[in-house]
Amino acid sequence: MTGAQGSGPVVRVAAVGDVHIDQDVVGRYRPALEQLGGCADVLLLAGDLTRHGTAAEAACVAREFRDLPVPVIAVLGNHDYHCDQVPAVTSTLRDAGITVLECETAVVETSGLTLAVVGAKGFGGGFAGRHASMFGEPEMKAFIRTTCEVSDRLGEGLRAAAACDVLVALTHYSPVPDTLVGEPLEIYPFLGSYLLAQAIDSAPTTLAVHGHAHKGSERGMTAGGVRVRNVAHPVIKQAYSVFNLSPRAAQIPVPT
Amino acid sequence: MSRPVDEYVEAEVHRLLTEHPDLAEQGLILHRREGTLLVQGEVESPYRRDQIHRLISQRFPDVRIECDIGVIRAQAPVDAEEL
Repeated sequence: MTGAQGSGPVVRVAAVGDVHIDQDVVGRYRPALEQLGGCADVLLLAGDLTRHGTAAEAACVAREFRDLPVPVIAVLGNHDYHCDQVPAVTSTLRDAGITVLECETAVVETSGLTLAVVGAKGFGGGFAGRHASMFGEPEMKAFIRTTCEVSDRLGEGLRAAAACDVLVALTHYSPVPDTLVGEPLEIYPFLGSYLLAQAIDSAPTTLAVHGHAHKGSERGMTAGGVRVRNVAHPVIKQAYSVFNLSPRAAQIPVPT
Repeated sequence: MSRPVDEYVEAEVHRLLTEHPDLAEQGLILHRREGTLLVQGEVESPYRRDQIHRLISQRFPDVRIECDIGVIRAQAPVDAEEL
């Protein structure tokens, strides 16, 4: 697909997070989803697909997002973990043809370009200079150790996919504070971590997409110049947003 | 007689919204305003909006509650961002 300016091929990425689907929501997204083939090459789901993370709710998600004209790639969010049914949630989504990533990579060939999506739920901790440390009580160390481990694996995945034309990082938690503006400052440590941004900046990432921050803002950027977009449904206020991504060779470098 | 809407009531309602097995709403904002607790934000369906009001009122029958909750639109986008 050619970009709006006709300057060359692009990969068209649709994305939404925090749809929190249960029986009462099934069918609300479907009319917009059936238009995806005309505007996107892939749909990304940025976590919190369910309300409580039950297999029954996952079946509702599967019903809403199955048999679409484009591949669907998802990560889970904290709500999807709530009832400790992650294996059942994941298998229900996969049975419907939805790719579910946790520190894994999906590759999509489209318009002669290769798109790699590296996905991980991520976790919290805060942002540079105000990040929690792996220190003190076992619970505190476990919290930050989780963020370190998932960030390390996200970075490894992104660097391994660096040869792809377009590279997207898909998380539920935010890598930057920019897209949290609107949320109370006190809860930033529970909304994301700079370690995710550091992982994203360790590879030639084209775009980072996340959800989780319902009262946050749409646009941000990592310290390394990677664009970040918060696609939480309450933020974008539409069924999904679409980003037309040019391959790296065609991009204008961001001033630093 | 109405119960005063203090910070403990606000915190209890906040926890109810998140922890009640039928809710799991973390994106709503609470305001204490002239003896009334105002619940604002957006949810995914009219059913959830009504359910939130009902469950808070049942749990806190002596607290004056006002809900101003919308339903998030789910229409297709009209444009794309070029990056």
